[in-house]
Amino acid sequence: MTSPTALLAVHGLRASYGKIEALKGVDLDINAGEIVALIGANGAGKSTLMMTIFGKPRARAGQILYEGRDITEVPTHEIAHLRIAQSPEGRRIFPRMSVAENLQMGADATECTDAERETTLQRVFTLFPRLKERYGQRGGTLSGGEQQMLAIGRALMSRPRLLLLDEPSLGLAPLIARQIFDAIRTLNRQDGLTVLIVEQNANHALKLAHRGYVMVNGLITLAGTGAELLQRPEIRAAYLEGGRHG
Amino acid sequence: MKTPSINTAKTASGIPALLKTACVNALIALVLFSLMVGVRTEAGSDGQLTYWTRFGDVASLVAAVFGGSIVLELLKQWIGPTGAEKLVPPAVQSGMSFLGRYLAPALLIFTLLVPVIFYDQRYILDLAILVLTYVMLGWGLNVVVGLAGLLDLGYVAFYAVGAYSYALLATNFGWSFWICLPLAGVLAAFWGVLLGFPVLRLRGDYLAIVTLAFGEIIRLVIINWQDLTGGPNGVSSIPRPSFFGIPLDNSDNGLAARLGIEYSPTHRIVFLFYLILALALLTNWVTIRLRRLPIGRAWEALREDEVACRALGINTTTTKLTAFATGAMFGGFAGAFFATRQGFISPESFTFQESALVLAIVVLGGMGSQLGVALSALAMIGGFELFRSLESYRMLVFGMAMVLIMIWRPRGLIGHRAPTVYLTKAHAISSDLVKEGHG
Repeated sequence: MTSPTALLAVHGLRASYGKIEALKGVDLDINAGEIVALIGANGAGKSTLMMTIFGKPRARAGQILYEGRDITEVPTHEIAHLRIAQSPEGRRIFPRMSVAENLQMGADATECTDAERETTLQRVFTLFPRLKERYGQRGGTLSGGEQQMLAIGRALMSRPRLLLLDEPSLGLAPLIARQIFDAIRTLNRQDGLTVLIVEQNANHALKLAHRGYVMVNGLITLAGTGAELLQRPEIRAAYLEGGRHG
Repeated sequence: MKTPSINTAKTASGIPALLKTACVNALIALVLFSLMVGVRTEAGSDGQLTYWTRFGDVASLVAAVFGGSIVLELLKQWIGPTGAEKLVPPAVQSGMSFLGRYLAPALLIFTLLVPVIFYDQRYILDLAILVLTYVMLGWGLNVVVGLAGLLDLGYVAFYAVGAYSYALLATNFGWSFWICLPLAGVLAAFWGVLLGFPVLRLRGDYLAIVTLAFGEIIRLVIINWQDLTGGPNGVSSIPRPSFFGIPLDNSDNGLAARLGIEYSPTHRIVFLFYLILALALLTNWVTIRLRRLPIGRAWEALREDEVACRALGINTTTTKLTAFATGAMFGGFAGAFFATRQGFISPESFTFQESALVLAIVVLGGMGSQLGVALSALAMIGGFELFRSLESYRMLVFGMAMVLIMIWRPRGLIGHRAPTVYLTKAHAISSDLVKEGHG
């Protein structure tokens, strides 16, 4: 599967919390311009993989290559400067700060001009008009869906090439979840943004993604295009019909 | 016009509940006081047990509790916690927002005029200086606790470092106050970073314990390092500050003599007053400026969510250390001022009680609110003096006042936080802001 054009390549990645090994040698590639879905049950290690790419927890073995550069040992706060952005699990917006400040926080850590920031802000508003309406409100007063939009918008403010999304549909009404997925698709098609999306909502995620990986107990067990994976009987049994997520 | 009627309706429907609460409280008081107060026992002249009853006192206590809980409940319904703003009639609300807009400038103008108005009243001037010292300490600690959300119970350590830095540099090397002041700030900031490093991974309760210990360590080192600090005897005859080189005394080249006016000891007090006012305003100004910069926003974001901060590429290590260092620096300035004002310092001035007092000022004022901290410093330090006539009941009244404030204003006197980022076209969002109650 490894291709020389991979934007992000993960080889044999291992990570653990104390004695508990959460990642047991993960291999994964994301090519520029792709949406890649990572699906799996609770505790499979999906979020850990995403966090490890960001350097917290540190990888115990293996390698993470971004644009061909080894970032396995790069400090967490510097990874964001490489134009990788993350929208963490559970949204984690800043509740007492206004929507404006939340978005500004996304831009603060990166060096960009005022004009660039303004352009990005307008782009975020085009994608999520609700955020413009709520601009002066405190983040904590937003609804769950709006908070998710804010979390993604905040990540976009750093003008990333690669966006890591952890469970963007968690706890959202189906209609709102659809809006979020539509926005991700738009970002990918119009802005050429590369996306790694971690989801329990396998149906949605695989329909959205170009390619998908299935993770079980810290290992990638299946890989293929989104459409292929959707047809696999074991996927249907484990994540679609059995779980009834979608 | 609708709101007051809703309000009365709510109070009316609440009367049975109100009486029930009051009865329950009175009953608890009855059970407690009937033995604690009602029966008094003492050893008689032959060693036998004598007792007598004081049921009259019990009855009055229970009645006080009954009445008190009704008043408390009513006040609670009127003022309500910060979430229940809609209970307040619109007239009061607009009055409050008017007050909110002009309170800070009015307070500042009044403060500037204090030495003019109370020129002959030395006691009030001294008290004002004390209040301003605590305003400054509160604003300094506000950076650490209010903005960065790092619970610091050992803030007095930096106050002590600042005070001893000035005292020792001035007495040993004869350096002037204006050279020592920045040095005291730098040294305190250095100790802030030193404390910051080991506690980088800690949050909340754990951080509080370590900072508490740090405050005690500094105090114990000062007590035991006798050669340098004089131990429990402290440092005495610390030089008074000069007006940029011109001493404020009764000598021939003193300020009074140079200006050709009659010398008065009040000159020095007034000078000290304006000095601490300037230092406090500097603290305030720097904090307000920093809040609008990325570093200030990062402090607040750190208080809200550390994981999200890291995901956004914020270096949490430097963010925490700068918060500690900035807060400590202002504590150091305040300490240097304290030393020059007192002329004598000893470890007794830097006990945990001071840390607790400053922290209480910040929490009561509303974490992160500059005006709130200033008001609560005024209430805590000024109010404490106000109750001096109550003698031994002073602490009791004081404690009750603190409990009441926390019941009615759980987020502090001023719990509202002003945002620091606006759209370029401010008018485009004005209606949203009003809807949210920010107008």
